Amino acid sequence: MAKLLMEQLTKTYDNKAKAVENFNLTVEDEEFIVFVGPSGCGKSTTLRMIAGLEDISSGTFSIDGKKMNEVEPKDRDIAMVFQNYALYPHMTVYENMAFSLKLKKMPKAEIKERVRNAAEILGLMDYLNRKPKALSGGQRQRVALGRAIVRDAKLFLMDEPLSNLDSKLRVQMRTEISKLHQRLKTTTIYVTHDQTEAMTMATRIVIMKDGVIQQVGTPKEVYDQPDNVFVAGFIGSPAMNFFNGRIEGNYFVMGQTKLLIPDSALPNGLDNLEVIIGLRPEHITHKPDKDQSTVEVNLDVVELMGSEYMVYATLEGRSFVGRVDANLNLSAGTVFAMAFEMDKARFFDPTTEKRIK
Amino acid sequence: MRTKDFAYWLFLAPVLIALTLVVVVPMLLGVYYSFTSWNGITTGEFVGFQNYIDLLKDERFLDSLWFTTKFSVVSVILINFIGLSLALIVTSRIKSSNLLRTTFFMPNLIGGLILGFIWQFIFIKVFASVGEMVGMESLQVWLSTTETGFWGLVILMSWQMAGYIMVIYIAYLQGLPKELLEASEIDGASSFQRFRYIVFPLVAPAFTVSMFLTLSNTFKLYDQNLSLTGGGPYNSTEMVAMEIFNTAFVQNTFAYAQAKAIIFFVIVAIVALFQVYWNKRREVEM
Repeated sequence: MAKLLMEQLTKTYDNKAKAVENFNLTVEDEEFIVFVGPSGCGKSTTLRMIAGLEDISSGTFSIDGKKMNEVEPKDRDIAMVFQNYALYPHMTVYENMAFSLKLKKMPKAEIKERVRNAAEILGLMDYLNRKPKALSGGQRQRVALGRAIVRDAKLFLMDEPLSNLDSKLRVQMRTEISKLHQRLKTTTIYVTHDQTEAMTMATRIVIMKDGVIQQVGTPKEVYDQPDNVFVAGFIGSPAMNFFNGRIEGNYFVMGQTKLLIPDSALPNGLDNLEVIIGLRPEHITHKPDKDQSTVEVNLDVVELMGSEYMVYATLEGRSFVGRVDANLNLSAGTVFAMAFEMDKARFFDPTTEKRIK
Repeated sequence: MRTKDFAYWLFLAPVLIALTLVVVVPMLLGVYYSFTSWNGITTGEFVGFQNYIDLLKDERFLDSLWFTTKFSVVSVILINFIGLSLALIVTSRIKSSNLLRTTFFMPNLIGGLILGFIWQFIFIKVFASVGEMVGMESLQVWLSTTETGFWGLVILMSWQMAGYIMVIYIAYLQGLPKELLEASEIDGASSFQRFRYIVFPLVAPAFTVSMFLTLSNTFKLYDQNLSLTGGGPYNSTEMVAMEIFNTAFVQNTFAYAQAKAIIFFVIVAIVALFQVYWNKRREVEM
């Protein structure tokens, strides 16, 4: 159990490149924080600074009020799960899990009990005498988790732990990790580039880009109230649609197309200004009655997902995706009326790309 | 696969012919000669196992075999210890590690004979002068006793081969997954524990290779032996290779020398293969 405080954390490499800049975050006890962002956004570097595997160039990091900058990784009381498991190949599953306890000179009986407990939670009882080579990817990942939980550490760090698994196993392990967190309640920091993992597992998400935090918030907050175009486009799958245009009165005008925005949804003072609007695919859909936010478009691609269609179309030179109920009979190449739910639109400044509230 | 193709054999032919001419035929001839009284000019008559029976009673040969064994054991341990230590030093995060690598490897580029003479100068002249200066008599008699001759050879060999073995260890150390070391760091291992429990078991394949190389090299040592001690004093530092050479070319008993060479070959082969087999079992697949 731990409360973490990161103040102005910065990582600068020898060539002056900044991997992480001014990272400020407070993590409360028992939280499950997910760092998410594209490759090279600094999320892993931040995690490694927290672990102590990477020096902190400037700023402070503390656990429970104790400054950790100069503390060795082994003295930080943390456990970490690596992307490629990092299991010791010459040790059995049991030895892998017992290694840290053995180093702590814990009595053998207690080590045995702890390892067995962890193995039971993770369903590894039958594999304790196997070497990692003789395990499947999912089992190896469980051993890596087991190695972390026997420690009873204050803090769990997970560096893209599921990215080496196939998609089915990934979903299964995702739930298992969530369950494990509910059970153990250990403060956890989890790094991923997969926004679905972030949305499903996190209590709070930290979205990063180019070493800078873009937004911190609950999955719902970052989905519904994205701070900028990057966050809006990164979170959600398929991604949010963006349209560049101009506000004229109560209308969003883009080329020949005019879409009516309800009064309640339109921020003040945007009249005659260029804006970017963002609409999630579920907000571009089909309505039986035409109104001033319905546009006829030519369907480029239609993907049946089972309960719904993903429809890809082009409007004023911009391609977008919408979601339509699967009960309708759709096919590519046909003309179809799509309703833009403008009350759900998000407005962004085209120069700063920040959201206009 | 159509292994019987004409082209297949054509491609293999150069190697097969060369190997047959320079290895297989001399080897078989050698075995045959060891059963004769060949003196280097005439083949002589067939004497059965007489040469082999004689060499079991040949004290000079047995002494050299024992000396070579002692020398090999001590050298193998020392060379591997120094080689691994150097490798650990130059793979750690120190500056000028590239310069150090080159420096440590350099002795290996100098020929054995020259190296022997260089060290002979160091042991006899430099050690003696230093010994005189500090008043230590033990430093003034190097290479004049069996003891100092033995250690002289060991030092020379370690100095020459440690850098070479270092390169092998470096390759394996750098091949260790970084995450494993980081995981052990987070698991609470000190740098010694990390070496003891993670690095050491995982560089086991390097031991197999290095032990094989050092063992076969120390067993077969000739030129360094020749130039450093010349086998003296009183043949007491004469190693097997030199003993066999002397039997053949000084005493002109070629067939007898050949018998010794065969025995020597068998011993080296058994030791080397046993070592590889034993070490292989310790290796782990990543």
